[in-house]
Amino acid sequence: MEPITEDERKRILESSPVGTFALMAAVVGGMVIAWLFLYYGVFLPRG
Amino acid sequence: MNDTAERKLILCHLWVAFAAFIVACFMGEYQVLERSGLLPALESPTVYFASVSTHGVLMAFVLTTFFIMGFGYALASSSLKQPIWNKPLAWGAFWLALVGVVLAAVPLLLGKASVLYTFYPPMVGHAAFYLGATLLVIGSWIWCAIMLVMFTQWKTANPTKNVPLAMFATAANALLWLWASAGVALEVLFQLIPLSLGWIDTIDPGLARTLFAWTLHPIVYFWLIPAYTAFYVFVPKQAGGFLFSDEMARMAFIVLAVFALPIGFHHLYMDPEQASGWKLLHGIGTFVVALPTLVTGFTVIASLEIAGRLRGGKGLFGWIGTLPWGNTMVLAVILSLLMLIFGGFGGIVNASYAMNAMVHNTAWVPGHFHLIFAGTTVIMYFAIAYYLWPLLLRKPLFSNQLALLQLWTWFIGMSILTTPWHVLGLLGQPRRISTVVYNNLLTLAWKPYELMMIFGGLILLGSACLLIYNLVKTQVTPYAGQFTDEIDYAEPIHKVGVLPEYLNGLTVWNKVIAVLMALSFGFPILQFFFMDTFGSSAWGN
Repeated sequence: MEPITEDERKRILESSPVGTFALMAAVVGGMVIAWLFLYYGVFLPRG
Repeated sequence: MNDTAERKLILCHLWVAFAAFIVACFMGEYQVLERSGLLPALESPTVYFASVSTHGVLMAFVLTTFFIMGFGYALASSSLKQPIWNKPLAWGAFWLALVGVVLAAVPLLLGKASVLYTFYPPMVGHAAFYLGATLLVIGSWIWCAIMLVMFTQWKTANPTKNVPLAMFATAANALLWLWASAGVALEVLFQLIPLSLGWIDTIDPGLARTLFAWTLHPIVYFWLIPAYTAFYVFVPKQAGGFLFSDEMARMAFIVLAVFALPIGFHHLYMDPEQASGWKLLHGIGTFVVALPTLVTGFTVIASLEIAGRLRGGKGLFGWIGTLPWGNTMVLAVILSLLMLIFGGFGGIVNASYAMNAMVHNTAWVPGHFHLIFAGTTVIMYFAIAYYLWPLLLRKPLFSNQLALLQLWTWFIGMSILTTPWHVLGLLGQPRRISTVVYNNLLTLAWKPYELMMIFGGLILLGSACLLIYNLVKTQVTPYAGQFTDEIDYAEPIHKVGVLPEYLNGLTVWNKVIAVLMALSFGFPILQFFFMDTFGSSAWGN
């Protein structure tokens, strides 16, 4: 674990969690795609 | 938690919880073996359904209730920095609940209460099962009262301070449980106990199912909120960072407590006794309650991202690798969130009014609730146990490496168990069957998945034994050193100012719940007292 400077620490604490936004977008997007696949690919074809 | 008597109280609750858990794990593996048809000598529908019922009661009611009570006492005394209010009453609740468990266990093990741990007539179990369950619930109500008294006393004594987040979440859960359990309490008190004792001849199953639906969804959040509490109050600190937002955490607990309650009819989508409009209303509410889970996911992952970056992580996802994966709480939350993603997706499919028809009463449903409960929730119970055990016993955990191995094997085992379970549901396998006869193309297609489930179950059983071994060894291994660690709560990034009452109290939310419950359950319940029931009255005759 590399030590970080006080400035770096302050910058991290004040920055937006961009990685989290990206992960959440991927998860929600994946869920929507999976739901659409189940609805149109499995549920509706069963009649 | 310096008080020896308090530590003993908490430890006793947690030991009852994990004793129930390990017994239930053995039963679970037996069930998957029996159902597969691999060992004909095991095949017995009577034993199978007795085992399923006992497994469900031990996992869903005993493990959870005792764990939540013990964990609640630990959070209340440590976060408020005051003794547990009325310890004799707390012990009384413990013994009452334990007597209830023993009373219910007798008919369960004798096959006299094989009602699949539900409260759905016309299946009716022995009266001792209902009386035992009632004592367990009354014990939990006493715990709720103790939590709310401590919450109120602290607020009165500290009018200018914010209630610690851990206590706010625990009090919200106590309030949620008091409301949630009222439905099944009415059903058991006025319908099932009189029926099982032979005092009445008939009851209205439609009313019973409606009352059980009142309880059935929020009970899941009663189990889940302690896991979410650990997400917010322990994980950021354990990861080496800060809580992203204290206010967002409070809002998530409020929305969980308020909107988990008036939405139970997604369990009745296929039932005839409620109109489709009411079901649609509850269905929409079910999607609303997904919001606090998304907020929780965001806040916890953001807290982890901060911790990872403070530990030197760079780039969009570089912080993930720098997290302390050797910390049981951090590892557990990552695995828990992974299972929550897939379990949550399964839940969205269940809640989708039309698509529910595809998975209703299929193997998909137990696959879903095992992933959410035994996966997402219970893995956090393990992490909390690994965190609390040293603090309660005043000695280090026997083996951190063993704990990490246990968490990984639980995650792997649960993935191997529940993935084929979901697939089986889509292939049309019904739930609640004791045997599969592989004599046609449809059921032959199920066999490889059943075998995978046996393998997953074996991994889970081994993992469960590792947990108990580690906890027992921690308890019995002598330790001569000084152990002074205390519960270390996460701090928010930004200091929280004086919060408005709606983020620091529950009175207003209790009123909101009352209004929502009256709106969503008022007419659906009252209708049973006005409609023609063709020979039976709502409560029986």
